[in-house]
Amino acid sequence: MTESTDYVELHARSAFSFLDGASQPEALIERAIELEMPALALTDRNGLYGAARFHSAAKNCVSKANVQSQIKAHIGAEIAISSFGNKLQPPEWLPHHHPNEPSRITLLCATQAGYQNLCQLITRFKMRESTKAEGAATLRDLEEFSHGLICLTGGDEGPLAAALAHQGQGDARKFVDRLASIFGRGNLFIELQRHQLREEECRNQSLLELASYLHLPVIATNGVRYATEKDREILDVFTSIRHHTTLDQAGRLLSHNSARSLRTAREMSELFRDIPEAIANTRIVSNRLQFKLNDLGYKFPHYPVPENETMDSFLERRVDDGVRKRYGSPDKRHLLDKARAQVRHELTLIKKLGFAGYFLIVWEIIRYCQQNGFLVQGRGSAANSAVCYALEITAVDPVGMELLFERFLSENRGEWPDIDLDLPSGDQREQVIQHLYERYGSLGAAMTANVISYRGRSAAREVGKALGFDEDQLARLSGLVGHWEWRGENDTMARHFEQAGFDVRHPRIAHYLDLCMRMQNLPRHLGQHSGGMVICAGMLNHVVPIERASMPGRTVVQWDKEDCADLGLIKVDLLGLGMMAALKDSLELIPRHYGKQVDLAALPEDPVVYDTLCKADTVGMFQVESRAQMASIPHNAPKHFYDLVVQVAIIRPGPIVGKMMHPYMRRRQKKEEVTYPHPSLEPVLKRTLGVPLFQEQLLRMAMTVASFSGAEAEELRRAVGMRRSMQRMKDLEGRLRSGMTGNGIGPEAQDNIVQAISSFAMYGFPESHAASFALIAYASAYLKVHYLAAFTCGLLNNQPMGFYSPAVLIKDAVRHGLRVRPIDVQRSQWLCSLEEEPDRSRSLRIGMNYAKGLRQTSADAILAARNRDRVFASVDDLASRVPELNRKELVLLARIGALNSLDKVEHRRDALWQVEEAGRPVGPLLHNAQSASNNATAPMPLKRMTTDERLAADYAGTGLTTSPHPMAYQRAVLRSQGILSAEDLSRATSNRFVRIAGCVIARQRPGTAKGFVFLSLEDETGIANVIITPDTFERERIIVTRSRFLKIEGPLQNQDGVIHVKAHRITPLDITNADIRSHDFH
Amino acid sequence: MTDELYASVHVSEFPAQALLRLRPDLKGKPVVVLHGEAIKEVVCSMNQHARRRGASLGMTRLDAEGIAELVLLSRSPQGEEVARTVLFECAATFSPRIEDVSHDTSCAFVLDIAGTERLFGPPMQFAERLRSAMENVGFHSSIAVSTNFEATRLKARAVRGIVVIPHGDEAAALASLPVAELPLDEKRLETLTIWGIRTLGELAALPETELVTRLGQDACKWRDLAKGTAAHTFQPIEPALSLQEFCAFETPVVRMDSLLFIGARMIDCLVTRAAGHALSLASLTVMMKLEGSRIHHGKIRPALPSTNRKFLLKLLQLEIAAHPPPAAVISLTLTAEAGLNSKVQLGLFAPQTPEPSRLDVTLARLKAIVGDDRVGSPELDDTHLPGSFHMTDFTVEGKVAGSKTSRVRMALRRMRPPEHVRVDLHATKPAYFRNREDNFGVIAAYGPWKTAGCWWSTEGWDVEEWDVLAVNRNGLTVACLLAHDRTHNEWRIEAHYD
Repeated sequence: MTESTDYVELHARSAFSFLDGASQPEALIERAIELEMPALALTDRNGLYGAARFHSAAKNCVSKANVQSQIKAHIGAEIAISSFGNKLQPPEWLPHHHPNEPSRITLLCATQAGYQNLCQLITRFKMRESTKAEGAATLRDLEEFSHGLICLTGGDEGPLAAALAHQGQGDARKFVDRLASIFGRGNLFIELQRHQLREEECRNQSLLELASYLHLPVIATNGVRYATEKDREILDVFTSIRHHTTLDQAGRLLSHNSARSLRTAREMSELFRDIPEAIANTRIVSNRLQFKLNDLGYKFPHYPVPENETMDSFLERRVDDGVRKRYGSPDKRHLLDKARAQVRHELTLIKKLGFAGYFLIVWEIIRYCQQNGFLVQGRGSAANSAVCYALEITAVDPVGMELLFERFLSENRGEWPDIDLDLPSGDQREQVIQHLYERYGSLGAAMTANVISYRGRSAAREVGKALGFDEDQLARLSGLVGHWEWRGENDTMARHFEQAGFDVRHPRIAHYLDLCMRMQNLPRHLGQHSGGMVICAGMLNHVVPIERASMPGRTVVQWDKEDCADLGLIKVDLLGLGMMAALKDSLELIPRHYGKQVDLAALPEDPVVYDTLCKADTVGMFQVESRAQMASIPHNAPKHFYDLVVQVAIIRPGPIVGKMMHPYMRRRQKKEEVTYPHPSLEPVLKRTLGVPLFQEQLLRMAMTVASFSGAEAEELRRAVGMRRSMQRMKDLEGRLRSGMTGNGIGPEAQDNIVQAISSFAMYGFPESHAASFALIAYASAYLKVHYLAAFTCGLLNNQPMGFYSPAVLIKDAVRHGLRVRPIDVQRSQWLCSLEEEPDRSRSLRIGMNYAKGLRQTSADAILAARNRDRVFASVDDLASRVPELNRKELVLLARIGALNSLDKVEHRRDALWQVEEAGRPVGPLLHNAQSASNNATAPMPLKRMTTDERLAADYAGTGLTTSPHPMAYQRAVLRSQGILSAEDLSRATSNRFVRIAGCVIARQRPGTAKGFVFLSLEDETGIANVIITPDTFERERIIVTRSRFLKIEGPLQNQDGVIHVKAHRITPLDITNADIRSHDFH
Repeated sequence: MTDELYASVHVSEFPAQALLRLRPDLKGKPVVVLHGEAIKEVVCSMNQHARRRGASLGMTRLDAEGIAELVLLSRSPQGEEVARTVLFECAATFSPRIEDVSHDTSCAFVLDIAGTERLFGPPMQFAERLRSAMENVGFHSSIAVSTNFEATRLKARAVRGIVVIPHGDEAAALASLPVAELPLDEKRLETLTIWGIRTLGELAALPETELVTRLGQDACKWRDLAKGTAAHTFQPIEPALSLQEFCAFETPVVRMDSLLFIGARMIDCLVTRAAGHALSLASLTVMMKLEGSRIHHGKIRPALPSTNRKFLLKLLQLEIAAHPPPAAVISLTLTAEAGLNSKVQLGLFAPQTPEPSRLDVTLARLKAIVGDDRVGSPELDDTHLPGSFHMTDFTVEGKVAGSKTSRVRMALRRMRPPEHVRVDLHATKPAYFRNREDNFGVIAAYGPWKTAGCWWSTEGWDVEEWDVLAVNRNGLTVACLLAHDRTHNEWRIEAHYD
């Protein structure tokens, strides 16, 4: 009788073999547990992409009976070997589309050294490629990294299968001998697979002969590619996708049958009853595989310090310097002692946990940025740390703001610190990344991966392709898949299919629907994370394989951010923030054009800035410019920095869904009494008026009422937030209650506190993170209020970013008194720039980068010619001195009015008429004759552009206009129809029925708004807000989503300066043909 | 004074008009015509009523269905072809010289009407009579008459009703027309648009030399078109070459000889007519009208287009022999497709191949005996389905058979069709099976070899195969391939091992 534990599957691919396996690693583990398998090996193609998740799944697996199950997760990989020729293909006489791919062997990690060798082996051949590619190892690579690995010879993709089919036993024997010499005879197993195929059985007989002849052990595997038989369908679809064909055309590329699922020990024993040792050997090999992924051998990165220093002492010294610098100023001196005590506490813990190297590495990044003049600021929970503040990693004073360090780091948490740095997006961030590569070596630092998985639209599209639907049908279908954030009740995939005209009862369509559902979340390919970087000086390739990213100069580890965190890899997030770049640009412009220096770290608390914020006049400001922020900020009426911290944190899906926003706002407006769940919590919740908003408050609440330590409180936060283990939650609640009882808190108050903790733990926002963002928000507001020209210039030169398009930003700046000048070949730079007006005020000149279709090389040539010699005398002069400009570019410049300042150009059409001639260069023989003819004064045959034509040309050519707003030209007519402007609304009484009109600049249907749609309508006086109910939206969907200008009729709602019009009637308006784009949020 | 005079008749929204002329029940109703395959159909034409209801070109079926009372019809290319013929025939009663200037979804003709005044009256009267004639055959049209071909064509597209342009007034008559009416590419049209040139009048007003300097020589042509002075070489429609012969019999014919006698004569005529255009016959479609109003079809397609009368007649004979008409024939129609005369290049060292015509005749004979789909060369399909192949046309490729010596393998003799058997199992393995007359006991069974595929369609399969060594009561031993079709739960012997 076969025991269910007699067989261990040692060759299984997951969907992390990217289109070559069809089940998640978790699904494989779950199935293996169902089959009572004691262990399972994951061997994905050329990588360890799924290993981390496989390991975690095995660690956390719970059987159906809700009992923790024990299953060993063996780690390995299928490795392509270029030296053994291509893998087996069908014989020539059979039609097939099999591509040439190198054959693959299966390697399993027996020891930690084996794992490290496998990582290095994969890294070696992946990095040998110049771009992102599969790659293949050589025998020399295998020789170098064979120690600690057990080799199986592979199934039909292995070298023996191909050799036996083509050259017979001779070559196969040579290959086996070679592998035996590399891995050692005890570590090489001849792999046998049985999928009920004649050819395979024929091969097995040859392999048995070979094994017997060479005295090598055989081993049975099932070459698993999916967890259950049904998943074979997904594998077939993946195969079609991988080979860019349809299921109907894929032919022999597809599976023969469904035999590559995980099978029971009984089934496998039955299949191999004639070779029982093949089954027995699986258990023997499994026992030899002692490596577990939590024995990664990862060590904290080392930071080079002077000889007589340790990393701890070196860090202590740097922190001490920082504390003196940060708290040495008179206004902060009162915090000095407190700060010293805090950093002592933090440094003790850092020393105990051995994290000094990490802090020093991040400090080095900060220093690099400072030396190069890059703005940089830490965000996230790091802002809770006084050490981070002292090292200038973060800009928020945790001592002054009484932030809670335990949210960042605690002894029992078992997690590494996580520091996210905001950098100006673009070149500077790239420079920092390249600096890290340079400093830690190409094998010492790499980006974390981003696993691109199938979602509704991509699944619908690719499954549709595989099933043979044509391009139009697919486009129609994917266009119908709902992409607005709000999903109505009927927004199901089946409904989308019906809408697209597919009959869901048709077998092919039914399969389509089913497959689309089943493919959700399966990995598609590996990308790189936007900013996460793992650093492990000099030895990252021992810990996880590294490969090339698609982007030149970048490398990426095979795990994503969560996997890295789960396995304790240190990472730093280098995030590009457009606003940082805009602030940096503004700070450079201010001294040049205003004659002043601004220090972002020392901005004063300015009532004018807060007044502006209170009026929701926040277009362009960081984090507070969105429609929802504008609607709430007057209620909050920020007067101090901390109010802004709350403002940044409160308009988030979490606090809104958690129903925290409205109680806070009511209390803020004194419409509701400030109460506390218990009097002892007053100090904790006082700053947020009794409403718990921040995660740090949860920690403090637990520490105050139940005498929890910081670490226990953090554990409570995570337990409540994750909702993973009911048992753990119960234990913690028990401890919380007993603690409260111990502190004399009555049962009723206990219930209130538990309730308060539970309800917001899911949604609370880290206070430190909000504070970091609020700093940038305040800086942006300060610069906008005091240095509008420089700030707007900074914003325009770092697009795309934020909520509004450049066109809206410019109109807002103009309303605030800034003169904006159009693109001019005589004055514009490539980027937007500031100019001095005759009255010594500053104006903004739009840069040539806004001319859509003008190449930077052409613009550079214009600038070079202008700077080298003189300004251009005429269109002809421009065309002849800048031969890089082609006709199309000349036409573009003429069309947007950029040539209007040239001599003999009266208007845009005049320039257009001239460039058509100038854009057709003649040979030298006729050049003089042509110049003479140009000088002849012929009447201009083209008429001046009308206003609408000018607008259309501006928007088509630059996406914005420096002329008056299109609505301004219609104002007289609109007024005669009783239509109010955005400005008029502030004077209108609430509940009055009004008519407004404007250009749609944003459409939103947030997931938290129950199907309501929010429109922002802009006119020459400002922005009006419109609310559309779900019913009205359904009725007028086409008009709302497609019209560029709308007339809205409905009652006005004015609550404490927050003004909305609730749309009852919506009518499209024909204002201009200009192509004005709205910013729609999906 | 010029002698030229042209009338242009323009039928807009032709797909809709072609359908509506035969549907009086839809008069006064909003109708749109949809074009394209199901699911991705879009509106390509409509009547005025539909336009007033908000329908527009390019609208999808879903959008169109959202408009109340809108009637949705599918486009009919055949119906449009017939309608075009009707229009042409109607116009042909006014002038023998007609040029087709149809464009996009309109149908338009320009008639050379110089010298027709005595027959149909002065231009205005001519235009009214032409329009009325068009109305009578069910089409609303617009008519323009002028002495310039292009001006006539352009004006008829732009107006509703009738316009007669006096000689010399062409430029004024065209001045308000949009420049998009000219044959401009997208780039040129964009240039003119950004210049603010929207009408032909504005274009005509631009100075010629400067215009040519900027837009090239084509600008001259566009300017002439805009001024109504463009020259045009008239290209009258010529009737297309139709290789069709028809013969109605006085009495129904039942004998093949009689049919072939007439058929031979018809082939003669077709070959002669094709040869007159330096063409051969690429295919012949045979249509016989039978007693009882039935129609019998056949098709002959020689390997190469041919003018060999005897050969074509032989193919006709074989076709009729293979597919004899089920009843007496009332009439015979032979329609030929013309093909280019072809010559086969022979290679000096290429192996001798049969003469194409003789090969055709042989293949046709075989097809007559065994059926069309059973003659040709078998080609394996790219699929795991055991034994799957398809037939391709038999061709002689001229390759010399390879002299590779392959290993001696066991041969498999396929049974076509497979023989159904009853199988008794023992522990999932076949133990006994019974064919038509015998019982076999299984001595050894190897398998099952499993294959399953095409799960996404109705043609999916799921088969288990067993290689079986069996013996009957008489001691006869057979080695065969038993297959179990799991979808239909059927067992069959697929093959025997030799």
